[in-house]
Amino acid sequence: MTAALVLDGVAVPFGTRPGLAGIALEVPPGGQLALLGASGSGKSSLLRAIAGLGPLDAGRVVVAGRDVTHEPPEARGVVYLHQAPLLFPHLSVAGNVAFPLEVRRVPAAERVARVHAALDAVRLAELAGRRPHELSGGQRQRAALARALVARPAVLLLDEPFTGLDPALRQEVREALVALQATHRSALVLVTHDLDDAAFVGDRIGVLHEGGLAQVAAPAELFARPRSLAVARLTGIPNAVPASLRADGTAEGPLGTLRPGAAFAAPGAVTLVFRPEALLPDPEGPLAGIVRSVHARAAGITMRLEVAGHALEARQPDDGPPPDIGATLRCRLREDRVVAVAAEP
Amino acid sequence: MTARRLLVLVLGASAVLPLALLVVASLAATWHYPALLPGAWTTAAWRPAFAAGGRLGPALVTSALLAGGAAALAVAVGLPAGDALARLRGWPRHAGAALAFLPVAAPPIALATGLHYTLLRLGLGGTPGGVLLAHAVPAAGYATLFFTGTFAVLDRRVVLEARSLGATARQAWWRVELPLLRRPIVDAFVLAFLVSWAQVPLTLLIGGGAVRSLPLEVVAYVLAGQDRDAAAGALLLTLPPMLLLLAAGRLTRALEVPPP
Repeated sequence: MTAALVLDGVAVPFGTRPGLAGIALEVPPGGQLALLGASGSGKSSLLRAIAGLGPLDAGRVVVAGRDVTHEPPEARGVVYLHQAPLLFPHLSVAGNVAFPLEVRRVPAAERVARVHAALDAVRLAELAGRRPHELSGGQRQRAALARALVARPAVLLLDEPFTGLDPALRQEVREALVALQATHRSALVLVTHDLDDAAFVGDRIGVLHEGGLAQVAAPAELFARPRSLAVARLTGIPNAVPASLRADGTAEGPLGTLRPGAAFAAPGAVTLVFRPEALLPDPEGPLAGIVRSVHARAAGITMRLEVAGHALEARQPDDGPPPDIGATLRCRLREDRVVAVAAEP
Repeated sequence: MTARRLLVLVLGASAVLPLALLVVASLAATWHYPALLPGAWTTAAWRPAFAAGGRLGPALVTSALLAGGAAALAVAVGLPAGDALARLRGWPRHAGAALAFLPVAAPPIALATGLHYTLLRLGLGGTPGGVLLAHAVPAAGYATLFFTGTFAVLDRRVVLEARSLGATARQAWWRVELPLLRRPIVDAFVLAFLVSWAQVPLTLLIGGGAVRSLPLEVVAYVLAGQDRDAAAGALLLTLPPMLLLLAAGRLTRALEVPPP
């Protein structure tokens, strides 16, 4: 099957800083790739370069088997959706959604039917005659999504489309996106710095770091097995402890001797990374930690523990009372959830 | 009455009273100091204004054509020039803005003298075309500065959005950018029209007396001491801009594009 999008050795400049280089990836038709990266990592620059709206230093952009590297934006089969929904203020919602079809000179009858179907899909049919300023933030985002997908582009590029939305709207727009994409089967590339958005929308997640694509994997694989300390940090892993990796696959360090579930480093000095869920309070556990702080979060209660001189984050079990600050807590580490990555130089 | 209301009242009176005085003066058969109102009334100044051989009617048409043409030309030049200037940064932008401001800032007589020399060499001296071109120079300066401000605040991302949605550059201009610019275009046209409408030095020097605009006729009446005719001409001079502003106000309200 021909890939919807192929990036081959793409290099993108951004400002005076070093840009992205050697970016290579493929997205199949209907595929969903989320690109994660810190602010300023070049996520948006990469999207704009793919769309033909920003400069490209080197490499090829291939859309549905056609090299579009030197094509103008309108001839690429790619739609780029800005972070803020840029609806045309002089057109109604229906006029906005019809825009991509009008410029492609789609016959009127077909145009009307497709606009109607697209508005139905995002539950905006009743607001078709309204102007953009009469819509709420979520309605505008949904209208922009309908407009982006009505022309059935081979690739839809989304630049942090959920930023600035409250949690309820965020969920509403995410669901609309996934439903629309399932109908239209456009390949989707989303850039975000939000792990939840990346995991919700992406069937694969790519991590941009220091001008390159550090890792591309399915969300579960990426979150469980980051291949570098940078990826671990960007995917929200708070715990990193130095250790020495032996040839037999065991690692020795301040947390004792253990066998990491995965190792992406040669024997020698490594960093062991693991999520708070891997460090469990256990009265029989071999590790002793002093509780330094307790944090109630939407996803549950976490604790900062000082274990063998290292500040580590652990998850408080749902059924127990939070421990007292300063108390000593026994705990154990689930070795299968520990990953050994190369230590930073 | 608060000081602010009093100030508004004074300003309003200073705008309305001279016009009211013109109305009275244009209808006065005899009006001598220190009488508060004319001793006798007449429509003598108004009757021949539009009659065959009258001077004010043709002059009004000439002025309207000159101002309309100059305004159209000014918008046609100022729109792309303002767009280009707004895209520049740093000293090129400042230099471009200064260049656009030059015909606005230069004393009209100095500008007229320079243009007179140029247009004479082009064979346009004493022709309506020459006067129209001369009027268009300061009008285009104003329009350029106006559009520079317009484009500076225009969110160009909507144009990129249109391109990304499949519009060619031409389609993006006609279907997205131009509709968003309708109101500024009307405003700039009105501004340029007013700049041209009140021109005396440029019409006098470039037209060489062969092109008789309404302001020139009014000046001629004043210099000849024909106060009643001068008053009628001055009133006539005031009406078209007021009507234009009224119409433009209604039009721009209809063309208003609400912020997204």
